[in-house]
Amino acid sequence: MNLKFIKTDLILNIKSWFRSKGTVFWTILFPILLIMIFGAIFSGAGDIEYNVVVQNLDETDFSKNFVDILKNISVIKVDEVDENIDLQEHMKEENVKVALQIPENFGETLQRYFIDRNVTVNLTYYYDPTDSNTVPVVRSIVSGVLNEYNNQITQSSSIIGLDEKSTLGEDFDFIDFFVPGMIGFTIMTSMVYGSIERNTKYRKDGILRKMLTMPISRVEWIFSKMLFMLFLSFLSTFVILIFGIFVWGLSVHINIFFFIIIIANSFLFSGLGMIIGRFVKEEETADMAGGAITFPMMFLAGTFFPLEQMPAFLQTIAQGLPLYYVNEALRNTMIYGNLDKTIYFTSFVIVFALIFFLVGVFLTKWKED
Amino acid sequence: MITKKTQCPKCRYIISSSGNPGEVVKITCPSCGNIGKISFKKEISDNGKVIEVFNLKKAYGDLIAVNDISFSINKGEIFAFLGPNGAGKTTTVEMIESIRQPTSGEIKILGKDIKTSFEEIRSQIGILPQEFHSFERLTVKETLIYFSSLYKKHANIDEIIKAMDLKSEENKLYKDLSGGLKQRVGVAIALVNDPNIIFLDEPSTGLDPKARREVWEVIASLKNKGKTVFLTTHYMEEAEYLADHIAIIHKGKIIAEGSLDELISKYGEESVLRIKNCKSANFIDILKDEGFEVLKQGNGDIAIKILYKEQVLEILSILKVECVDYGTIDIRRSNLEEIFLKLTGAKLSEVGT
Repeated sequence: MNLKFIKTDLILNIKSWFRSKGTVFWTILFPILLIMIFGAIFSGAGDIEYNVVVQNLDETDFSKNFVDILKNISVIKVDEVDENIDLQEHMKEENVKVALQIPENFGETLQRYFIDRNVTVNLTYYYDPTDSNTVPVVRSIVSGVLNEYNNQITQSSSIIGLDEKSTLGEDFDFIDFFVPGMIGFTIMTSMVYGSIERNTKYRKDGILRKMLTMPISRVEWIFSKMLFMLFLSFLSTFVILIFGIFVWGLSVHINIFFFIIIIANSFLFSGLGMIIGRFVKEEETADMAGGAITFPMMFLAGTFFPLEQMPAFLQTIAQGLPLYYVNEALRNTMIYGNLDKTIYFTSFVIVFALIFFLVGVFLTKWKED
Repeated sequence: MITKKTQCPKCRYIISSSGNPGEVVKITCPSCGNIGKISFKKEISDNGKVIEVFNLKKAYGDLIAVNDISFSINKGEIFAFLGPNGAGKTTTVEMIESIRQPTSGEIKILGKDIKTSFEEIRSQIGILPQEFHSFERLTVKETLIYFSSLYKKHANIDEIIKAMDLKSEENKLYKDLSGGLKQRVGVAIALVNDPNIIFLDEPSTGLDPKARREVWEVIASLKNKGKTVFLTTHYMEEAEYLADHIAIIHKGKIIAEGSLDELISKYGEESVLRIKNCKSANFIDILKDEGFEVLKQGNGDIAIKILYKEQVLEILSILKVECVDYGTIDIRRSNLEEIFLKLTGAKLSEVGT
């Protein structure tokens, strides 16, 4: 292994990369721009889907009356569920975004209020943090109803309050969902287009032919390029994270899986780029082929919005896309801290990476026919 | 016989010794008496040929790109492989450079078969591929450092920059260079490992005449450094200006080979000296008396056949002695374009794509 060349190659690649303002923009500033735009859009937007599940654990007329008020609001559709079911499980199973639980002491507290003015009772508002459309709208509607209800009963003080609980167990925002997707997507595009450039532009420019006549093996060449690509992956990940943390208050868990996923993701999409570069030899056509593969994948693999919001057939397609597993692996390790799911999705990413990279290396030829 | 200096590993005394290429000579240190061996690298084959090609063929299905060609190149010469686009030049040179696999035939570089010894050979060759573009956002110097880092043995980068007249451009990005400078950088890259043989595949294609001339000067300087140059070109002027040895390839076959003089004398028309506006009435008679063959005459213009170069001096001498007044004199001899036309029935510049 020619370490001197590998070191020179890495240093000069980094220098060369920073000299290309366009590449720096697309790799670093573009994802930041997307985070800003999407973050701003989904931080307070409305939606047309306002289904609310209500679980009434109280059997008094007070609670029934409250549910009736909700039912009379035209913009929401109330779906009552049995008091014996596990509401959070039900939400996950039925893909419910928001639910309201009325506690069993609801009526009793209201009755006691007329004796003891200090009593309070809280409804619980369960929500899926990844749905940035429905959640805030329904929250404001429910809050409005509660204010009105409190006013009618007490004329002034708030006897009924609202507890909020994320179905993911912590307080997650859309940005928590979005940033891991953005990291996965940014690495994907950098790797695919980087590989395409090496395999089409370098071939056209005679660099690969020149390398073939120089004392360097294909393994050394690919290894040195992968070092550079990993540098890019970690650089863009770092920038996105810093931006997410400081601008949107993102909270992340960094562990060994995070690094494994970033590395595997880099190898996975470099391999995909090599495969594209093998079959589409013209530089411009290869770029278009890269776009034709990465752009639909970006939208279908749950980068910008949860898979559950898509039609069932698209969800099935998404589960065949490597980026979906990258996004889910990153979310589960960085944001949700779900080890079982992290291992599950990371295994897929590693398998995809091995297959794509090895096939890519196998297909990449320097020799001319 | 090669003379080599080596340092005694025991006492560090510098010992000078001579031997033939490929020979291993036993030496005794005159200072400490330590006995050792010194080997003299066999850099060229015994017959002085640095490149030998035997019955080389390359077929793509029914299309035969290179059809059973053989040639050899001597050490230190500029060899021009001349032919129109699509004649098989690049296919041939890329087979010699081990980029393409021949269908059949044998290639030896420095006496070694490239099939078995290319790993050893590649450190001794430098290559400028056709339409080569280096990394756009590296400076000239960084580019040379980059390629140089691939080799164990390499030339001094600053010396290459100086030799290629790139000093004032060394910190410019490759993408900002003119076409001619880019090609000079390409040649400089081919020199980073101080190779014995340099392959230049159409180095001046697409350049303007001034830039082309600059590249020619760089190529000519390589010969002065003792390098062997394998040049592929479709510019006959380039081959005429630079080459010691020319092979003309057409439709995959070598149709003529030799030095420029050999090719002209074998395939060209005779040289002609033309005098315009000659004021002497009896000058033609004088020439005929002296044994010259006058090809054309009329309106004071005369064309005289030149069989050997001394005849030119004789004619000039007659003009001077006889005080003949005339307009202009020029000498015209056959060029490669005419030879190509004669051999193929087509003009070199009009064949191919």
